[in-house]
Amino acid sequence: MNQRWTTWRALARGVVLETVRRKDLWVVGILGFLILVSAGALGFFGFQGLESFAKDLASTVLGGLSTILAIVTTARLMPDEIKNRTLYPLIARPISRFDLLMGKLLGAIVVSWIAFLILTALTACALMLFGVQFEPVMAQYVLLRMMGIVVICSVTLMFSMLMTPSAATTMSFVIIFGSGMITQALVMAYESGEVAMRPLFKAIHLMVPQVGLFDLGGRAANTSWGPAPLWVVGTLAAYMACYAAAMLALSWGKFRNQAV
Amino acid sequence: MKTPLIVAVCCALAFGSGYIADGARDEVRPKGRYSGLEAHETSAGASLLGQFRTSVSGWLWVRTDLYLHNGVAMRPLSERELEAGRVGVGSKDNTDGALHDDSKIVTVIPSAERDFRGVFGDIHRATAAYKDMTNHGHNEPYSALPLFRLMTWIDPHFINGWTVGAAVLAMRRDEEGYRRALEFLEEGLEKNPDSIAILNQMGFTYVARMHDLRKGMPVFERAIRTGETLGLARLSEDDRDGLQQAYRWLALVYRDRGMLERMYPLVNQGLALFPEDTILARIQQAPPLVLARRAPEVKLEEPEEPFHDH
Repeated sequence: MNQRWTTWRALARGVVLETVRRKDLWVVGILGFLILVSAGALGFFGFQGLESFAKDLASTVLGGLSTILAIVTTARLMPDEIKNRTLYPLIARPISRFDLLMGKLLGAIVVSWIAFLILTALTACALMLFGVQFEPVMAQYVLLRMMGIVVICSVTLMFSMLMTPSAATTMSFVIIFGSGMITQALVMAYESGEVAMRPLFKAIHLMVPQVGLFDLGGRAANTSWGPAPLWVVGTLAAYMACYAAAMLALSWGKFRNQAV
Repeated sequence: MKTPLIVAVCCALAFGSGYIADGARDEVRPKGRYSGLEAHETSAGASLLGQFRTSVSGWLWVRTDLYLHNGVAMRPLSERELEAGRVGVGSKDNTDGALHDDSKIVTVIPSAERDFRGVFGDIHRATAAYKDMTNHGHNEPYSALPLFRLMTWIDPHFINGWTVGAAVLAMRRDEEGYRRALEFLEEGLEKNPDSIAILNQMGFTYVARMHDLRKGMPVFERAIRTGETLGLARLSEDDRDGLQQAYRWLALVYRDRGMLERMYPLVNQGLALFPEDTILARIQQAPPLVLARRAPEVKLEEPEEPFHDH
């Protein structure tokens, strides 16, 4: 197991170094700068009474940008290795294809986490400039968001094994950003639709990644909402692990017999 | 020989269609007002900017509703749900519906009894801003005022921003609140001179809030004149609703000021436009004696200084 862990860590480190070498994190810096400039523009209207709006905007922007970065980073990992033929030296080593996928997934997660934490730090600076006070639920927001990123990366990796990078990116955007809407539609349809359709609605609901469950933005932005109970965090961690494992298994199922 | 003939015929057709195209202007672009579209239709750039600001102000509008409910997302009941007899959550502090109609809204995240998702539903209710909103209260609406200011600044043609913003200002129920509400509406009217919804809200503030029938009357009269000029078919849903309200309020103002000779033609005119309006029908059918008794201070006066059109 130690050997595997070393392999995964080495592969993940490679993904992080590649991202740094390609200066991808500059994008994060530019986005962070835009956040600060936008916050300054918002300050033009006076911040009194706009604290909730500022926190809401911050959580929305953070959620949106971190999702985009996670998808874009993950979608090209494996296709790029195949296209640039850098996959051959990797699979020539004594590592399994599963280890390769796992290492890449971990690398994508770490890169997405770094980008998210940089954006979070810049957003926190912008909020502090306007005197918005820190609350414990904000720390929980960051923690759950990082867990949500794991699900996003695993879904994108699975799509990238099945289709071209552009198609995988598009499909991931549709599924991840649309999951809340799909769930809402299913809940409404379940109540008012035909009884015979209910098992189908349940099945679709179980397949759709429940990324919205990891978003505490609504609680963090508004007043008088405490952190979520511990059992919720534990259940979400279990869901994250199961869903990511399922996506990884699907990716491996495609990749293990794929001719490269 | 044929080619020049074809070219000549094509040129004649092009010239002819161009010549008569002007006649189609009234069909393609009928006279009247296009609230919020004046700048947008002039060029692609302006159109893009217009779409952007409309989207932003619409987003801010949704956020405003969210803050009034302290982050709990609400949705209107669907037609199907209303037909099935489902009722909204109701509220304890928005009885006059100045903010929105609480009898037709429910939480976006359903309660445990109505949610098939089991543990996922429980987690959703624990991580999102959710609570039982039956007979709920609202956050201090004043906290949302900067958003109304922001949305009307971004899109001055967003009528709901002006009317609901003014309603929120008037909720203080003091002279300062009414003065600020009327100033806000004046500004909105300057940007949207033909908005019946804004005129109606202004008249409502005078009559229902300040109990100043003399000042409210010319405002409602202007709203009805605007409706006559534009025609019911061209009015937006908000303006149509505003016009119906204006007929009701003006009829009540006439009644309470004893101006029955003006009230009956107005009620008939209103019923011709809105035949299903039960309030107008009730006023029309009430015996004149009852109406006169309702206005003990009956004094037929000359109309006050008309409300100035901007």
